Amino acid sequence: MSSTVLVVDDSLTVRMNLLEILEAAGLAATACADLADARAALAEKPFALVILDVLLPDGDGIELLEEIRAGPAGSSTAVMLLSTEAEIRDRIRGLTRGADDYVGKPYEPGYVATRARELLRRHATLSAAPARETILLIDDSITFREALKAVLEGAAYDVILAGTGEEGLLLASDRRPSAVIVDGVLPGIDGPAVIRRIRFDAALRRLPCLLLTASEEGGAEVRALDAGADAFVRKEEDVSVILARLNAMLRSAGAPAAAQGSRSRLGPKKILAVDDSETYLRGLAEALRADEYEMVLARSGEEALELLVVQPVDCILLDLVMPGIGGRETCRRIKSVPVMRDIPIVMLTSMDDRDSMIEGLGAGADDYIAKSSDFELLRARVLAQIRRKQFEDENRLMREQLLRTEMEAIEAQTARKIAEARAALVEELELKNRELEAFSYSVAHDLRAPLRSIDGFSQALLEDCADQLDDIGKQHLRYVRESAQDMGVLIDGLLSLSRVTRTELRHEPVDLARLARAILTQLHKIAPARSVSTLVPDELEVEGDPALLRQVLENLIGNAWKFTSGQSAATIEFGILEGSTPTTYFVRDNGAGFDMAYIGKLFGVFQRLHSTQEFEGTGIGLATVQRIIARHGGRIWAEGVVGRGATFYFTLWANRTETRAA
Amino acid sequence: MREKTILLVEDNPKDEALTFRALQKQNIQNKVVVARDGVEALEYLLGRDGENGANENPLPELMLLDLKLPKIDGLEVLRRVRAAERTRFLPVVILTSSAEDEDLFEGYRLGTNSYVRKPVDFVEFNAAVHQLGLYWLFLNRPPPNSGV
Repeated sequence: MSSTVLVVDDSLTVRMNLLEILEAAGLAATACADLADARAALAEKPFALVILDVLLPDGDGIELLEEIRAGPAGSSTAVMLLSTEAEIRDRIRGLTRGADDYVGKPYEPGYVATRARELLRRHATLSAAPARETILLIDDSITFREALKAVLEGAAYDVILAGTGEEGLLLASDRRPSAVIVDGVLPGIDGPAVIRRIRFDAALRRLPCLLLTASEEGGAEVRALDAGADAFVRKEEDVSVILARLNAMLRSAGAPAAAQGSRSRLGPKKILAVDDSETYLRGLAEALRADEYEMVLARSGEEALELLVVQPVDCILLDLVMPGIGGRETCRRIKSVPVMRDIPIVMLTSMDDRDSMIEGLGAGADDYIAKSSDFELLRARVLAQIRRKQFEDENRLMREQLLRTEMEAIEAQTARKIAEARAALVEELELKNRELEAFSYSVAHDLRAPLRSIDGFSQALLEDCADQLDDIGKQHLRYVRESAQDMGVLIDGLLSLSRVTRTELRHEPVDLARLARAILTQLHKIAPARSVSTLVPDELEVEGDPALLRQVLENLIGNAWKFTSGQSAATIEFGILEGSTPTTYFVRDNGAGFDMAYIGKLFGVFQRLHSTQEFEGTGIGLATVQRIIARHGGRIWAEGVVGRGATFYFTLWANRTETRAA
Repeated sequence: MREKTILLVEDNPKDEALTFRALQKQNIQNKVVVARDGVEALEYLLGRDGENGANENPLPELMLLDLKLPKIDGLEVLRRVRAAERTRFLPVVILTSSAEDEDLFEGYRLGTNSYVRKPVDFVEFNAAVHQLGLYWLFLNRPPPNSGV
């Protein structure tokens, strides 16, 4: 096994002992006595795990921890702090700055070996999948966002930014980041609410979340954990601290959630003892260590609360009477946080009297014991509480497992139902489309036949019976024929409108400028007497369906031609609107124009803005154009002034252009 | 000289009357035989039992074929006409209301010689029939010994 461990400790005994137990566990290890040696060793080659003392002759071990986290090996090196259990400040400092674990001295050799193996295993899985991780950063301050983004990108993370909680939640489900960093205070829904929603989302509930809390806001940490955050950092801390916490959080992702008891189920149970009397604390630690518990010591309720946020424990021994917030309040606060509520608390009372007992239990303690009792009794009580918690944990795990299985089953079932419903809808839609196609065909064929008879026999009547009809009778017959022919044109218009949606769209290069010129030439041929000046670019290539795009230009240019018929100096222009994104094409004329008040009617089927006497037309052309443009992923709109002309604008593949530009 | 017959396959009597009128107007004096559905048309051309049956009718000079017909539709008539030895070179003009792309494509795929959409306007219809008659009865030369 090539995994290597670096041991940094100034005590020769510790170094020898650790090398021995690590070797016995099959791990190659190197030892250094101070920071200078350690730095030299790390510069030479990377280590998978560093076991680091905090108090070193030439400096602070946590400095080295920070250097490792900021260095090139960064988050891939696991760091286990091994230092005196009495120094709770070091413990908190170490864990917030990215240590993977903190083991108190005096240590239990077997436990250190087990933890070392666990950390290395996690390291191996991380190195095996070196996929670039994406971090979603939700913060309303642009300055802070950009600053943190730069730091994260410097550490080889991809960063997605969001300015509000709502936006962040959308991005989270859309982009599936590896972790979320969210500011506690946000406009709209705040940070804890964002995390709570993530935890409720079946697809996202395991997403690691780091909450940034405001400076000295009381209870912010507790609220963070309450909402389900995996970690929190005070916002005024250096950004490198945020990076360290993020790395640690990602390393432990997949491991059981924090604050759910010791991370290792094999190792000794962690017990937090809180007492303002140093002497009593030492004696207590001594006694319990005999049972192979790992002791974490705190001197006040405040210290205990601060520590609990970064370090989960299995049992808490809490002195009732202490300076500061005292045992009762500490107990109440711990019990008010859902994720900590299950940690058993044994209240230590100075006197074995009824009042103290009631006070302790009233604050939510699970048990109480008089400080005057001997340690044997205390050990028994602690063991009982830890056993009880273990049972509860196991039960909860089983319940959660059951719930998860049920939820997965429900999710699978829902997905299946949705797929089935969708398939049914698609089938129905296809059926409807086929019906519509058959209907259109009948319209084309069967509605025209009677029209032909109406027109044909009216004409026959005019020819054969001319001498029996007076002028009024002949005029009537002409009206009959005109109407039949109008209806024929209408039917053709409707057919082409329905054909736009029925036929499959072709994707080919189309030169719109060439098409426009061809259409204008055709129009000139039909009405050679008209003088119209036209402006069309040399070339304008787009992608689309040639037949449908021709229809668009035929309609728009045809309209321009038609509505400029009253102009002595008519102009028709086709081109691209300069500097437009997405690219906007236009057809402009100086003809009759239209009143912008009726713009809403312009693209409706059978809507006309001019009388038939003025300009002929069916009122289907622009509706067809709009459908064609929509099928080409674009939009059409128009501007007009009565008597001054009209301009029609359209875009194609508008969304695609934006994506390409981004 | 054998009389040049036109076979008009048309189920709508009014369209039939209008076609007759248009032919008359254009001074096309040829005999017009009318079949009211696909079965009648095939029987006229190929006999009751198809190709093997005895057939007294001379082949027409031109068939004007509507697509939407009772019993056997126009496209199927065209397919069988092209498959039969006797009629595979017969000039066929599809004369129909439909301008659907599929009908046009299918018509040409099955071997029609021409495809004309019946206009609603009778004056235009007259013009179309005039052109058709002029082209197919006078200008066009069928292949030799084709029986046409």
